[in-house]
Amino acid sequence: MRLRFWFLLPTWVSMAALFAAPFLIVIAYSCLSRGVYGGIEAPWTAENYLRLFDPLYLTILLRSVFIASLATLLCFLSAFPAALFISRARHKNFYLQLVMLPFWTSFLVRTYAWIFLLRDTGLINTALEALGIIHSPLPLLYNDGAVLLGLVYGYLPFMVLPIYATLERLDPALFEAAADLGAGPAATVFRVIAPLSRPGIAAGSILVFIPCLGAYLTPDLLGGGRTVLIGNLVQNQFTTARDWPFGSAVSILLMALVTLVVWQYLRRADEPGL
Amino acid sequence: MNRRTFLISAGFAGCAREQRPRLNVYNWSAYIAPETVPGFEREFGVRVRYATYESNEEMLAKVFSGNSGWDVVFPTHSRLEAMRSYGVLAPLRHEWLPGLGNLAPDFQRPAWDPRLELGVPYMWNATGIVYNKAVTPVPAGWADLWRPQLRGRLTMLDDPEDMLGACLKKLRLSFNSDVAQDLRRAEREAILQKPLLRAYLNAEVRDQMVAGDVLAAQLWSTTAQQAMDAAPHLAFAYPAEGFPLYCDCAAILRESRRQRLAHQFVDYLLRPRISAGIAQSMRTATANGAAQSLLPEAVRQNPALYPPREVFGRGEWARAPSPAAQRLRDRIWTEIKAA
Amino acid sequence: MRRWLGVYTAAFFGFLHVPLITLSVFSFNSSRFTVWEHFSLEWYRTVFRDPQLIEGLWNSIVIAFAATAISVVMGTLCAYGLWKQKSRLLTGGLYLSLVTPEIVTGVSLLALFQWTFRWFGWQLGLYTVILAHVAFLMAYVVIVIAARFSTLPPSLEEAALDLGATEWDAFLHVMVPALAPGILAAALLALTVSFDDYVITSMVAGVDSETLPMVIYAMARRGASPAINAISALTTVFFGILIIVAARVRER
Repeated sequence: MRLRFWFLLPTWVSMAALFAAPFLIVIAYSCLSRGVYGGIEAPWTAENYLRLFDPLYLTILLRSVFIASLATLLCFLSAFPAALFISRARHKNFYLQLVMLPFWTSFLVRTYAWIFLLRDTGLINTALEALGIIHSPLPLLYNDGAVLLGLVYGYLPFMVLPIYATLERLDPALFEAAADLGAGPAATVFRVIAPLSRPGIAAGSILVFIPCLGAYLTPDLLGGGRTVLIGNLVQNQFTTARDWPFGSAVSILLMALVTLVVWQYLRRADEPGL
Repeated sequence: MNRRTFLISAGFAGCAREQRPRLNVYNWSAYIAPETVPGFEREFGVRVRYATYESNEEMLAKVFSGNSGWDVVFPTHSRLEAMRSYGVLAPLRHEWLPGLGNLAPDFQRPAWDPRLELGVPYMWNATGIVYNKAVTPVPAGWADLWRPQLRGRLTMLDDPEDMLGACLKKLRLSFNSDVAQDLRRAEREAILQKPLLRAYLNAEVRDQMVAGDVLAAQLWSTTAQQAMDAAPHLAFAYPAEGFPLYCDCAAILRESRRQRLAHQFVDYLLRPRISAGIAQSMRTATANGAAQSLLPEAVRQNPALYPPREVFGRGEWARAPSPAAQRLRDRIWTEIKAA
Repeated sequence: MRRWLGVYTAAFFGFLHVPLITLSVFSFNSSRFTVWEHFSLEWYRTVFRDPQLIEGLWNSIVIAFAATAISVVMGTLCAYGLWKQKSRLLTGGLYLSLVTPEIVTGVSLLALFQWTFRWFGWQLGLYTVILAHVAFLMAYVVIVIAARFSTLPPSLEEAALDLGATEWDAFLHVMVPALAPGILAAALLALTVSFDDYVITSMVAGVDSETLPMVIYAMARRGASPAINAISALTTVFFGILIIVAARVRER
C-alpha cells in the first residue's frame, strides 16, 4: 500500500514545483503593480484585471478567439474527408504514418517552410510568374490568410487522428444500411457518419483550438507583426513592455479560457479521459 | 566536413566545459568578427561562451533577474540607466581598462554616462531609410515613407521605440518626446501608414531588400550597410527631419563572478586592431577613435556608416522615456498593432 | 464518391508534404534564391561549419535525452500509481498542464526560476531548461503510458503477487516489460516534443542552453537562408529514421 505513495511522489513533487508553484507566482504577480522600470512592486491591486476590460484588449481577445475558431473549422473541413478515406482504406497504418510524418518535424521548420513558399521570391510566386499567369508577385505572406494557413498546417494531424479513431470504430454495416434505406452518398456522410463521429470531431476541435488560441510563433513569423493575438500580447508584456503584472493577468485570462473550454468538453464527453 | 569531424566538434562542445576559466558573453547577432573571440581565448588561456540576441528586451528579460549567468552584455546606451537602477550593473573599474583612451572624443564623456561608469561604448548606429535606387524621387525623409506608391513594398521596424520615433520625427517632434499629445499624434500617423506597410520587420527585411521585394524600409544603418554590400541597387538615407542615434555599450554585470576577466575582455575589445577588425568584417561603426584611424579610407568615408559631420548633427541620441510615457508608448504600440 | 474522396485525400497529402519536400529539395540548390541553379552541398557545409548551430544541436540533444529520461521514469511510476489508485487531482493537473498554452507555461516557469533562484543564488542554464522540459513532458508521458496500462489485464500483476513477488518486483519484472511498447512510444514522443520546443525554452534558457530551435529562430529572424532548409531536411530525415526504427523495434 505505501509503495503506491512512492510511485506517485515524484510526479506530485514535480507537478507542485513546476506547475502549481509557477502558476501561483503568476497569480500573485497579476495582483501586484508594475515598477518604474518594469519590476514588480507592492501594493496589491486589481488594476491589471480591470485593464482586461479595456476595449483594446477585448478586441484582441475576440480576434484571437475568432482566428482560432476559423482555423479549427478549416482544419475540420479539410481533415474530415481525409479521415473518412483513411478509415475505409486498406493500408490504414501507412496513411496514418503519412499524416504524422510532418508532425515529427519541428514546428518552427514547418512554419519556415511556408515562408519559403509564400514570400515574393518564394516558390509559388516564382512558379506563377514563370508560367506567365502573374506579372508581379502576389502578396501572399504577412497577412491573416498566411497566419491561418500556418495554424491549419501546424495542427492538422491533431484533427485527423481523433476523427479517424471514431470513424474506424463505426460498423461498416451502417453504410450499407444507409444505402439500403435509400440514402445517397452525401446523405450518408451528413446524416449518418458525421453525427456518429461527433466525439472525434469534438476531441479534434479541442486539440486544435487550444494551441491556436495561445499561438504566438505563427502570427509572429507569418503575420509580419501586423496583427497582435493574445499569445503575442502575453509575450510582448513579458519582454518589450516589461509589464509583468499585466502580462500575468492576461496569462490568467488565457488559462481561464482554456480551462473553461476543456471543462465544457469533458462535461459533455462520454468518456472522462484517463 | 565529414561525419567524424562533426562528431568530434559536437563532442568537443560538450566535453570541453569547466576546464579553463570561462567567460560568458551575450551580444547582438552579427556584432563580432569571427577571429575576435578565438583570439581572446588563445591570449588569455580561457574559454568564452558566446551567444547572441536580437533585441535589448530579449537580453534584459534574462539579465534583470540578476542570475542570468552572463558576465558581459551589450545593451544600447538608453537602457543603461534602467539597468543601473535595477542594480544589475557592476561599476566599471577604470584601472583595469587602460584602453578607454582609445575611444573617440564623442564617446569619452557621453551625455548618458559622463564618467563611463556603466558601459564602454562599443559600436554605434542610427536608424534611417534603406531604399531601392529605382524609387523616384529618392526618399530623403521620413515623410516619404507615407507615399502611396510604396504600398505593399514598404516595411517599418518591429520596434516600438523606432517606429513611434519615426512618426514623431515626421511631425518634427523630438524622438524622445514624453508628451502625451505628441505621442498620440504620432500614433495617428502610424495608423495612417499601416495600410501601406507590407509588414513590421527587423533584420529579416535585409534579404527582401536585396531580392527587390521591398523598395523602402526603416532600418538600422549597420544592417542597411550589410544589405548594400550584397546589392548595389540599394542606398541609405539619413532622414532630413532627423533620426535617432544609438550606441551599444559593453557592460559588466554585477552577478559576474569573474569581474577581472570580464574587464580584460572589454579592454581587449578596446584595442584599436581588434575593434577595427570587428568594424571591418561586420560593417559596423566603431566608437573607438584609434580603431577608426586604422580603417581604410573608403570605409571611413562611407556615408552610411560614418556620415559627415553636418548629417550626424541632425541625429538625436535616444533617451529612455519617463515611466509614465513608457506606459503610454507600450499601450500605443499595442493599439497600432491591433488597428 | 469514393473516387472523389481518393482524389481529395491525395491533394490533402500533397498539402501536408509538399512544403517540406520542396524545402528539402531546395536545400541542395546552389543559389540562395528560389530559382534552381544546380546541385550543391554548400548549405550543408555551412551548417556543419557553424559553431553556434553545432552547439545548439548538442544542447538540444543533451536536453532532450535528459528530460526524456527523467520524465519517462517518473511518468512510468506515476502511470502505475494511477492505475492502482485513481487520483482526480493529479490526473486533472496533468491534463491542465497539457492544455496550458506554451507561452503561459514559459512565462510562469521564468517567473518561478527568477523568483526562487534569487534566494539560492542559482543561475539560468542547461538544467533550468531540462526542468522546464520535464514539467511539460510529464503529461504526455503519463497519458501515453496510462493508455497502455488500460490494455493490460489486471490479473497480470495479481499472478505475480500470488507467486510471491513483492509489489516492487512485480512492477519491475512484470509490468515494465509488459509496458515496454508504451514506454518506448512515450519516450519517442517526449524526445520529439522536447527537441522541437522553442517558446518555453527561449523563455527559461540561460548560458549554455541555446538550443537548435532557438538558433533556427534567430536565423529565420535575420532573414531567409538556405542553410535553414538544410537543417530542416536534416531534422526531418533524422526523425523519420527514428520513427521507422522505433516502429521496427515495437513490431519485434
